[in-house]
Amino acid sequence: MYKIEAILQPSRLDAVKDALLEAGIEGMTILEARGHGRQKGHTEFYRGREYTVDLLPKIKLETVVQDELVEKAVSAISNAARTGKIGDGKIFLTKVDEAIRIRNDERGPTAL
Amino acid sequence: MWKAASLPLAQLRAKTVLAEQAARETFLRTGDGTASIQRRTVEVDALLREIWSTLQPGQEPAIAVFALGGYGRRELFPASDIDVLFLCASEAVERDAHELIRTATQAIWDIGLRASPATRTLKECERLDGETNLEFGISLLDRRLLFGDAGLAARFENELLMTALLREAAGMEAYLAEAARMRHAKFGDTIFHLEPNIKECPGGMRDYQLIRWLQLLRHLAAQRAWPDRPGAEGFTLSLSAAAGNAESSSTGSSASSEPNDLESAFEFLAATRCFLHIRNGRDDNILDWVAQDEAAAGSVGLETLGSADPAYWMRTYYRHARTISRRATLLLDAAPPIARKPLLKVLRRRRSLVGGTNFWVEDNRITLEPGTSTDAESLLRVFAHIAQYGSSFREGTESRISESLSALAVHLPEGPYLWNCLRDVLLGPHAAHALRIMHALGLLELLLPEFHGIDSLVVRDAYHRYTVDEHTFLVIENVHALRTPRHEWEKRFSTLLPEIERRDLLMLALLLHDTGKARRTGDHARESIELAERVFTRLEFDLEERDIVRRLIRNHLEMSHALRRDIFDPESIRAFSEHAPGQQQLKMLTLLTFADIKAVHPDALTPWKAENIWQLYIATANYLDRSVDEIRYHVDADPVVLARILSRVAVHGGFAAQDNIQNEQLRSFLEGMPQRYLQTRLPDQIGEHFKLSLGLASEPIQLAFRLHRQFNEVTLITRDRPMLFADMAGALSAWGMNIVKADAFSNSAGIILDSFQFTDPFRTLELNPGEHERFLKSLRSALRGEIAIEGMLRSRQRPRHGMATAARTRIVPRFHFDNQSSSHSTLLQVVAPDSPGLLRALSAAIAICHCNIEVALIDTEGELAIDVFYLTTAGRKLQVPEEACMTQRIEEALSTIASDQSETASIASPPAPAGTAQA
Repeated sequence: MYKIEAILQPSRLDAVKDALLEAGIEGMTILEARGHGRQKGHTEFYRGREYTVDLLPKIKLETVVQDELVEKAVSAISNAARTGKIGDGKIFLTKVDEAIRIRNDERGPTAL
Repeated sequence: MWKAASLPLAQLRAKTVLAEQAARETFLRTGDGTASIQRRTVEVDALLREIWSTLQPGQEPAIAVFALGGYGRRELFPASDIDVLFLCASEAVERDAHELIRTATQAIWDIGLRASPATRTLKECERLDGETNLEFGISLLDRRLLFGDAGLAARFENELLMTALLREAAGMEAYLAEAARMRHAKFGDTIFHLEPNIKECPGGMRDYQLIRWLQLLRHLAAQRAWPDRPGAEGFTLSLSAAAGNAESSSTGSSASSEPNDLESAFEFLAATRCFLHIRNGRDDNILDWVAQDEAAAGSVGLETLGSADPAYWMRTYYRHARTISRRATLLLDAAPPIARKPLLKVLRRRRSLVGGTNFWVEDNRITLEPGTSTDAESLLRVFAHIAQYGSSFREGTESRISESLSALAVHLPEGPYLWNCLRDVLLGPHAAHALRIMHALGLLELLLPEFHGIDSLVVRDAYHRYTVDEHTFLVIENVHALRTPRHEWEKRFSTLLPEIERRDLLMLALLLHDTGKARRTGDHARESIELAERVFTRLEFDLEERDIVRRLIRNHLEMSHALRRDIFDPESIRAFSEHAPGQQQLKMLTLLTFADIKAVHPDALTPWKAENIWQLYIATANYLDRSVDEIRYHVDADPVVLARILSRVAVHGGFAAQDNIQNEQLRSFLEGMPQRYLQTRLPDQIGEHFKLSLGLASEPIQLAFRLHRQFNEVTLITRDRPMLFADMAGALSAWGMNIVKADAFSNSAGIILDSFQFTDPFRTLELNPGEHERFLKSLRSALRGEIAIEGMLRSRQRPRHGMATAARTRIVPRFHFDNQSSSHSTLLQVVAPDSPGLLRALSAAIAICHCNIEVALIDTEGELAIDVFYLTTAGRKLQVPEEACMTQRIEEALSTIASDQSETASIASPPAPAGTAQA
């Protein structure tokens, strides 16, 4: 099993969710986030003052999938989130040792 | 020592099962919740009596056993606990009966009932102060003797308890009120939850009990006696006066055989709670959507049989909850306050009339003069007072108002008078509170029948927590709450509130924005506009007012939609700006979106989302300031706009639409105008401007003047020339007018259209209609160069003693050039303290440097002037030499204005007498 963490543009969230559902991945956690990579922030002028937007709004999506679905999921996220511009986001993969369903203590991939 | 006999537990357990079954069947067979809970009470009484008599045959300890809480009230719901008090005559008795009481309690559990026992000696019941004792004291209000020592029970009730209650009544009332307020706050102070907890929510069972307790405590304080026969069967307190037929109904003891609204509400809730307990198999009082569907299908609590529509069933629930909630609120308002500042206390306590009405205010509570009736005008004044001060009605006044509503309906105010009254309500800091009371009494629907459709309307989705009417009140509350922002991120939005010119129209838009949801067509914004049109007609709104409200309602979801796009993409910003074609619309839409999202759910507006709304606002505000006039209108590219304006001009201008000469002239007038002009002006206004332009052949300076509610406006149409904008700004300043907004447009033919919005601090034009013509003549002369504007300004700037005041805040003037934001112009943004002649000085500096003002966006926010000029020279952006010239001239202008101001302020403030320190 792998945990997929994806940092996305908020505007691409709906498209990514649809793409994951189509790939057969239904469970996911969405978090409101702020941050920047190489995109950095930018400066606005408002009422004659500089207004620096250094942390940009992002969405963090988390899901854990079985090994055989990892590439499919990554490709679904990446295709749906890509606009070609700087700031499209990143995907991180982490190996997961165990998953446990709290309701019935079921373990392993079937608990996903 | 008392000896526990062996109990036939298996037999008693079987009896319990049968008893529980009988109570359930009573409900399932009849649907009568009250009968079911009374039946369970009787069955449990019998079981407990059997346990007690079996445990100590022939022995009579000095113990009285009472039922407390719901059990004491004979309201034992299917999954309710059995609250029992073992009252012992003394500590010795308690010690001796310890084993007996423990065995009895164990037996209650063993036969399948959930016991919640308490043991107290008589002495321990003497004091009811302190939080724990207060809670115990309140539970004693519902006591009912089950069995045991009758003499001990009578002594307890008539001597000890009565004395303790009389001593602690005020403290208990304050404690109850505080606990209720905290509970209400936990549920957002509203009954209108989509999935309510029917016990704890405002308007729920707990509030019904609160009413009974408060009434009993007040009765005891006033009469120093139990309201009904005290004794083995406890007391009963009739709630038939709960509708508040008399101002002095605080004792609440009048009798009636007819069930009143409050009793009906209890019966409905009792049936619903029985249904939930039986359905869930536990003490779970949350009425979720599935439960609502099932309750409606079984017509739970309704007099009708068969199945009911869930929306209708829930409306019945809210109606009953509202009855309980209103009554509880009235009693809570009269409860002793926790703490107040002495001065405020004195002011609040003073009895005074609400101006122009026969309503009295005392201690922030309003009473209708006894023996008098009210009229609609007085009532609206009273609600304006409530909106301003957050007052409430005293008991009885609300019902007197309700009774008179049908008579009031015959003579309802209309038109501008009604709007003025509604404005006062909408603009008050407690507007939502006033509107909720108006809604509960039916007055709001009487004045705005369009609101009726969303009364207690449930729209089920995953996000909304409240009914549509309550959501609407919350939206209004959220905007007013920005006066005292609680979070850092709210402070930003709060800066926009005082800058809204027509806050009244924003509030009206908020009130009407979701009314269309009642029609369930899937496009509630469109339906809401249709309903709003009727309101506009009744309130006799002018075209501009209609347009502002209409746009807000139509676009009220657009900012939320834009948040789902990339808010840093210029194309997203451009697309969104089409829904907010001016700074005012944008600010109103921003506040609407903020308040609307926040009213969906307590956690709906996260700081993350609020930050995104703010960034979208800034990006769009900057876009509107810096790039709107990139897009110009060309008739051949978009003839539809021409046709639309032509039709309006034909209707109001008195000439035929097919008049080719006029068509050609209109085409020429509009060709090359900025799109912003078409977006921010109504077709009728454009028609007026066009008609003015037709007069240019005979009079090269065309002026039009309009008196507005907030601002006056002068529109100038003429051929462009250097210093024109500066001369106009100077002439207005010389008349003492304070320019707060200005727009400058020009078309391809070199005709300019400048509009100046200004306030008239001395109300010269408002109070002297005869001066209008002299005013326009003077402006015309100034623009023709017949009068020296500098001379006019100098005489204006000479202050009369004591008239001028120094700025309250220190603002450092600053300006900067921007060559990036526009493809055709250099932007000059000046931020400086607002002062007479500032605009004139800036525009004169621009003219001296041979620069042309393509667009001017003049704004004033409090004491701050924010002026943005789009400048060109010889049809191109400014180059380094022009910027250098401009820098020097603008610095000179700002410094002259600053020194004039300090001179004026020093003349206005006489020197301090010798020996007096000056701050």
